[in-house]
Amino acid sequence: MISELLINAFLVTIMLSIAIALIKTRTVIFTVILTSAYSLVAALMFITLDAVDVAFTEASVGAGISTILFLAAMAYLPKKEEDSISSEFIPALSCIILGGILIWCSFDLPEIGQLTAPIHQHIAPEYIKGSKEDIGIPNIVTSVLASYRGYDTFGETIVVFTAGVAVLALLEKKNTTKKNKSQPKQKIRKNA
Amino acid sequence: MISSTIGIWNYWIVFCLMMIGLFLVIGRKNFLKKIVGLAIFQTSVFLLYITFGKIKGGTPPILNDSIDTIYSNPLPHVLILTAIVVGVATTALGLSLVLRINSEYGSIEEDDVSAQDLVDYHDDIETGKNFDLKFKK
Repeated sequence: MISELLINAFLVTIMLSIAIALIKTRTVIFTVILTSAYSLVAALMFITLDAVDVAFTEASVGAGISTILFLAAMAYLPKKEEDSISSEFIPALSCIILGGILIWCSFDLPEIGQLTAPIHQHIAPEYIKGSKEDIGIPNIVTSVLASYRGYDTFGETIVVFTAGVAVLALLEKKNTTKKNKSQPKQKIRKNA
Repeated sequence: MISSTIGIWNYWIVFCLMMIGLFLVIGRKNFLKKIVGLAIFQTSVFLLYITFGKIKGGTPPILNDSIDTIYSNPLPHVLILTAIVVGVATTALGLSLVLRINSEYGSIEEDDVSAQDLVDYHDDIETGKNFDLKFKK
């Protein structure tokens, strides 16, 4: 019990400090590395919360593929973030107010780990009970993902496909317009 | 008592992380930083969902032979598995938008981009859409 709390506190402290460092840093490469580290610590946090499948997906996809995407995009982008001209007071204030409201509402949430919480009463017990007989796979997450809620996964693949097509369309356009239209804008880039 | 306050405390941490992500999205003018903020926000929401699914004394939802094992709720895990993959897809889309903006405007700072848009707009009004004069500062 105590060891669980210690591990939890340790991981939470790391996550918070990474998030604060992300606010402070202005260098793009540090931003990318910190995001990757944040995903990895989140994966550790998922393990302590019994979500092993989510943990390795987060470690491979969240910390791996996202970082590769960020690094690939970084190569074409400015390496430094400029200091913003306008004040950051109003965004910070609204974030603090919204966070306060959320924390205030959190007193109505069920305590973590209670078996009587509404989320554990609905359909999850049936999945746990029926997984072995219906699907025959010991990993319940897999059987729910691929069989009970297979349509969700199908929709997910459609979303990913659409995003891929959109990325291709956006990056394709870049090459064609560079020759024709954006000639005057090149001058501005040299001036700036 | 201590464990119950710890339980609520975990939610608070998640909310703090969420708000840091939201601040990066709305407070920072760099588009890449905004996408990083979205990723931070997303991961915090994942953490919130997984926290809902945790059962005290439970094990990961992989069936074993003993009868009286308590399994943590597998449903949030499934939802979040889907959400992680969709999150990477949206990150890729956002990054390609940033790349496109960079190739058009030569900058990924929101202030620069909106200033250029403003110059374009006023020039359009004055010259009646003369494209040669459009980008003179």
